[in-house]
Amino acid sequence: MDDKRQRFEAQALPHLDSAYNLARWLARSRVDVDDIVQDAMLRAYRGFDSVRGHDVKPWLLAIVRNCFLTAVAQSGRRTHMPLPGDDPENGDAAIADDAPDPEVSAIQADHGRKLSRVISTLPQEFREVLVLREMEDLSYGDIAQVTRVPIGTVMSRLARARSMLRDKWMDDVEGARHGMP
Amino acid sequence: MACLELLRVQAYFDDELDAGAALDIERHMDSCEDCTALLQDLKTSRGALRQQGLYRRASPQLKSKITASLDREQDASQWLTRWIPRQRQFWFGAGTGAATAAAFATALAFFAISPGVSTPLVSDLMNAHLRSLLENHLIDVASSDQHTVKPWFAGHADVSPPAVDFPKEDYRLVGGRLDYVDGKRMPVVVYRHGAHLINVFAWARRGDPIPPATTRNGYHFVFWQNGDLILCAVSDTAVEELNGLVRLLQE
Repeated sequence: MDDKRQRFEAQALPHLDSAYNLARWLARSRVDVDDIVQDAMLRAYRGFDSVRGHDVKPWLLAIVRNCFLTAVAQSGRRTHMPLPGDDPENGDAAIADDAPDPEVSAIQADHGRKLSRVISTLPQEFREVLVLREMEDLSYGDIAQVTRVPIGTVMSRLARARSMLRDKWMDDVEGARHGMP
Repeated sequence: MACLELLRVQAYFDDELDAGAALDIERHMDSCEDCTALLQDLKTSRGALRQQGLYRRASPQLKSKITASLDREQDASQWLTRWIPRQRQFWFGAGTGAATAAAFATALAFFAISPGVSTPLVSDLMNAHLRSLLENHLIDVASSDQHTVKPWFAGHADVSPPAVDFPKEDYRLVGGRLDYVDGKRMPVVVYRHGAHLINVFAWARRGDPIPPATTRNGYHFVFWQNGDLILCAVSDTAVEELNGLVRLLQE
């Protein structure tokens, strides 16, 4: 194994789950996520010499995000990405697909499923800052690097994302309450 | 909620404030109900997002697929570095008889190596060109319409190279893609000329000299400047044919 490959395995591959998590939340359904992540890892490997001295995680996640945007642009006509929330059956199926995941029981919990649906309905620019901050624990500066916007924009998007999440979550809970006999 | 400090409360919650500013906000929250409520909301939603098993992990199958594709990539680049010196030896050992010359005629066209230039940049460009031929990753955006290709770059790359179709001269615009070359994310415009593919790479010129034209392993590299961009056309087509496209792009 050559030096570049060893460094890549030591510094970039440990972030594979983060890469997958971001791609999965961006794409919202399982479709194509594996392809996006595989493409991103290969591109990252090819460009790996350029990251010496920089933080690998935001650099890698920026590539993942670009690959996702490219995949969306390529799919062209398929502008409507199905949301898990669009169809209760599909939504549940998309989540239950994660069967080998040990967390599956937690995901299947009603609470988690609802929250997942609420996140999925947020527009991309808000969904991604929320995932990067709350799940990936990235700093504002790192999020700015991944999403290629100024830090001020990261802050306002994050605030908006959190308030949308809160409002939609309340709506969801209220809606369920009204639906009850 | 309309308190002007809400963004700073969020920054405090996200651990983005220095000690002095954090102290200010803590004092402010003592007297501001909105901000105290916001902090509580932020804690609740983070707790939910981090505890509900929402984190998605790559499957073992994906992990092994990625390892396999890295293996292939590593093999391909080793193959390249092994082959380049070997072809030189092959050259010196080649016979001079007429029959041998005829037999080697095609090999000659393919393996010709110009003396001199062998920079990491050229290696990188050659790798990218070969990858585009070997893999199904020739184009990210397929179109012969310059009004499709050029704006696509504007949204995906730092620089946007010219992308013009030349049907009359038989340099057909096939599309564009992004590649990683010389540590940079680089837009590539793809042309077809007869049976040959031509990749045109573009990057911002930062005071560096324009490399001289060169040939490696039968692949020609022609560099030129266009405004503040450096462009490089790569192909195994004849040099004159490649220069034909370069002239059209310079007009």
